[in-house]
Amino acid sequence: MGLLLLLHLLAAVGAPLLVRWWGRQAFLALALVPAAAFGWVLTRLGTVVGGGEVRETLSWIPALDLQIALRLDALALTFAALVTGVGALVLVYCARYFEPDEEGVGRFAAVMTAFAGSMLGLVLADDVLVLYVFWELTTVFSFLLIGGSGAKLAGRRAASQALLLTTAGGLAMLVGLLMISGVSDSRLLSEIVADPGSGPVMVAGTMLVLAGAVTKSAMVPFHFWLPAAMEAPTPVSAYLHAAAMVKAGIYLVARLAPGLADVPGWRPVVLGLGVATMLIGGWRSLRQNDLKLLLAFSTVSQLGFLITMVGAGSQELAAAGLAMTIAHALSKSTLFLSVGVIDHATGVRDLRLLSGLGRRMPVLAVIATLAAASLVGLPPFLGFVGKEAAFTALWDGGLPDRVSAVVVLVGLVLGSVFTAAYCARYLWGAFARKPGLPDSAPEELEHHPGPLFLAAPAVLALAGLAAGPASPLLDHLVVVYAETLPLIAPEAEHLALWHGLQPALALSAVTLLGGAALFALRSQFTRLQHRLAVGASADEGYWNTLQSLDRLAVLVTGTTQRGSLPTYLGTILVVVLLVPGTVLLARTPWPDQWRAWDSPLQALVGAIVLIAAVLTVRIKQRLSAVLALGITGYGLALLFVLHGAPDLALTQFLVETLSLVVFVLVLRKLPKDIGARHRPAERTVRAAIAVCVGLVMAGAGAAALGARTATPVSVAIPELALEEGHGQNVVNVILVDIRAWDTLGELSVLVVAATGVASLVFLRRRTGAVDRASEEEASGGGDARRAPKAQWLSASGTLAPQRRSVVLEVATRFLFHTIVVFSLFLLFSGHNDPGGGFAGGLVAGLALVLRYLAGGRYELGEAAPVAPGLLLGGGLVFAGGTGVVALLLGGAVLESAYLEADLPVLGHASLPTALFFDIGVYLIVVGLILDILRSLGAEQDRQEDEEDPIDAAPDEVIVR
Amino acid sequence: MSGAMRLRHQLPVLIWLVLIWILLWGTWSWANLLSGILVAVVVTNVLPLPAVIAGARLRPVPLLRFAGYFLKDLAVSSAQVAWQTIRPGGMNQGAIIAVQLRTDSDLLLTLIAESLTLVPGSIVLDLDRPRRTLGIHLLNAADADDVERQRAGVFTTEERIVRAFGTREDIARLESGEPVGEPAAGTDRAEAGR
Repeated sequence: MGLLLLLHLLAAVGAPLLVRWWGRQAFLALALVPAAAFGWVLTRLGTVVGGGEVRETLSWIPALDLQIALRLDALALTFAALVTGVGALVLVYCARYFEPDEEGVGRFAAVMTAFAGSMLGLVLADDVLVLYVFWELTTVFSFLLIGGSGAKLAGRRAASQALLLTTAGGLAMLVGLLMISGVSDSRLLSEIVADPGSGPVMVAGTMLVLAGAVTKSAMVPFHFWLPAAMEAPTPVSAYLHAAAMVKAGIYLVARLAPGLADVPGWRPVVLGLGVATMLIGGWRSLRQNDLKLLLAFSTVSQLGFLITMVGAGSQELAAAGLAMTIAHALSKSTLFLSVGVIDHATGVRDLRLLSGLGRRMPVLAVIATLAAASLVGLPPFLGFVGKEAAFTALWDGGLPDRVSAVVVLVGLVLGSVFTAAYCARYLWGAFARKPGLPDSAPEELEHHPGPLFLAAPAVLALAGLAAGPASPLLDHLVVVYAETLPLIAPEAEHLALWHGLQPALALSAVTLLGGAALFALRSQFTRLQHRLAVGASADEGYWNTLQSLDRLAVLVTGTTQRGSLPTYLGTILVVVLLVPGTVLLARTPWPDQWRAWDSPLQALVGAIVLIAAVLTVRIKQRLSAVLALGITGYGLALLFVLHGAPDLALTQFLVETLSLVVFVLVLRKLPKDIGARHRPAERTVRAAIAVCVGLVMAGAGAAALGARTATPVSVAIPELALEEGHGQNVVNVILVDIRAWDTLGELSVLVVAATGVASLVFLRRRTGAVDRASEEEASGGGDARRAPKAQWLSASGTLAPQRRSVVLEVATRFLFHTIVVFSLFLLFSGHNDPGGGFAGGLVAGLALVLRYLAGGRYELGEAAPVAPGLLLGGGLVFAGGTGVVALLLGGAVLESAYLEADLPVLGHASLPTALFFDIGVYLIVVGLILDILRSLGAEQDRQEDEEDPIDAAPDEVIVR
Repeated sequence: MSGAMRLRHQLPVLIWLVLIWILLWGTWSWANLLSGILVAVVVTNVLPLPAVIAGARLRPVPLLRFAGYFLKDLAVSSAQVAWQTIRPGGMNQGAIIAVQLRTDSDLLLTLIAESLTLVPGSIVLDLDRPRRTLGIHLLNAADADDVERQRAGVFTTEERIVRAFGTREDIARLESGEPVGEPAAGTDRAEAGR
């Protein structure tokens, strides 16, 4: 079973490639995958009918006791056969539904195959968490299939609506499943059903699980997403919205009913919603003129019917429900596929515009009629057998309570009357010649359906026909599942075409006659419907709810996010003062001894930092203020040096320098002076907050030093670094080896942050390198009074004459390679000496900064003609790859190894694998700096140069 | 450009990079030499820069002379500037002067500008390349004579650098003493700073 799921996954991954090679014929190859699964499922039929089951357990996350438990019993087999069989046929149908060179077919094929796999996984899953995972996978794939390429607004709306509703239900279901499995003390569905827990938690859990089933199976009041989802291509409607995904809810109810049907509240919810859905769906279906919408509402109605039967919790109704599920899947898929053929051939789905199609497409008309006959419940189709069984069950028993049994029976009969009526309306609408229309409308058929196109609906329709007389055989399978439920009627009826003259036969006749009458009186009935129509609909309710949610969000955002940086900072800092500050004052044990400094030099540096900090606040020019701020950072680096931490000092120096560069790049877009807009009182408050926060942080530092009671972890690390990491630079070994996981996480954050910054500046284009200089731009021109005579840099000629500088260009020329060599030295020596990938990357980045400052944006493009995203991604791959390689070699993730060799000439050579991790860090840091230069530097220059302030399409409105 | 020519132009850079590499590692070994060559070749080829004929020479004795005087200037000027800032009388007036040099080489002009800037008390503000004129800010200019003295100092620095790094033509141009091309306007203008 696991293998089958894997096969689907592989097929889905390979689908785009196959479509590229073979065009739409690739669907035929893809259809083999569900077909193979179908074949396998059938081979297990003997075992399952004999009362056995097939189990398979794959270890997933042993540490969390998570396993992929799969189980094939009678119920799972029925659904698995439907999912795979219909899936294979629909894929065959796709091979003709799409035009030979239609766009997006590869994506569609991949998602469709992936959906088939997840649906199969859903019905096979025994573990509740695995069930949930597959459940949500079907939701996600359904979202992708409904939305298509996202080009159509209606498609996007429908897709997001379906996603929102079904995931909301899915999340409720997850909580419910966890509650149920907690109370029942097992995560396996088979064990939960065999021995369910009880109590209020069980009831609440059951209701939450039902919420998931109800949303997924489009029950009232969540039914409206299904008609909206008809935006999807017809194969999707036929598969997801008739045979597979919407049946997930039915499956779940059927799966849980043997154990949970007696939980208080189960029957009222399931039966109430089921009957209501059947009636509302049927009623709405009769009002539709779009054939696909008509079928969508009919599906809603039938899903209500099915959930009523499988949820009733009695043996006789469950058997009927299972038979009816098969019948419905077969005939509804056929009807959808037929609409697809009509749509394909005529380009029209509105039954008011179609006329005389039956004469022109007789084969299709026969196929659709067979399917509709099964749905209506005409003998000898499977639909008749199922409906008959349901009526009989309710007549004699079916539910523990007679009154509700009668109410449900009346509801179902009425719903079946609607069914008969809308099926007649469908056939009439699609194929009949209509008064008021020409004999043939539309005049010309765009495509005439070929045999392969009709194969899938034909097979499905014939299966529905054959299954009726063969229903006693089907009974063997159905009864294995049904017997897990208690029998309420005096005796069990078996599925068969003919039970003799009994009440159910009369009820069947009533539904048929009623349906015929409704159809005959359709114009009067339509008028009645118009008169009774209510203004509100669940769909409108949904959009209103969403809109109020949006409004609320805007309101909340508007009140809390005022866009004032001082307010944000102030809020954060005041909270720091109030919470940790109070704790600090009230409850912290202070250290016993105080020592102001170790050496007077530290005091000197401290004084300089303090003066610089005060100056930063007092200075009026932005640039000077930033320089003063930089002094505080450099002072800190000096303190590190004095403390004997050269590595930290080096990194601090580099980061401070880079921050200065970034500051300057941003500040050049702002006015030169800091405006004095603040009142003195305001300034005083700010100063007070700032000083207090400083004191709190200093106090926290002192308290943290004094609060230590255990031996610090760091005591063991130097030795560990040397023995395990083979490095003398403890800081570096911690980063790339001992705490490599942390570093990897931080790298990911860095990459995301860089991407975020860049996308804020670029708005539209994220990818691509910095612009390269074209020939005429590189030649420069004009009065280059400050330019050197020779060409020292690649593209400095493109700079405006007043921005050039001989000294800078010549110096950059000589320093650039030297700095890069230095950065490489830092990278390679970092394991034992100050340095490492981070410091090395910063140095290399500063070399790029130099090139940019000396030669402008084109120079940057020439210096690093590579997309920053490539560097960032490559670095992440390098760093992550080191971990994966370690895993493949049998170690733990990111475990480092150490290669040593004595080479001729070179002498003793050693290579820690952590170096590769460090190379990844190096690349990411370079990429990050390049990204900053590209967005805050080059792109700003471009916007200024080209007087195209924002890189946007002409008709796009950008709110800043 | 042919391969041999390219190599000739690249060779000094490569030697320089290898030297830096070995100095950074701090020990001499064949491994460091070979890896240094590898790094230098890879860096110069992966991150290429346009070929420039720098036209510079290294003359050991004048180089030592220059280095010695530079260090002396550095020490003396540092002391002077330090005294300027803390002496009771306060700061003197500053001045901005324009000095037209005799050298006509990007590289030498850059070196001159850099060494003037590195010495405290003087900062090069502007370099007018066609006129070979430096705009220099002097921190301390007691009077007109002092300005002239400092101007002469600039010329001395120029001479030392050209003799240390310049080609034969550069030195010849220096010795001919006559600036080529008309002097820039405002060469003699000394402005009161601050």
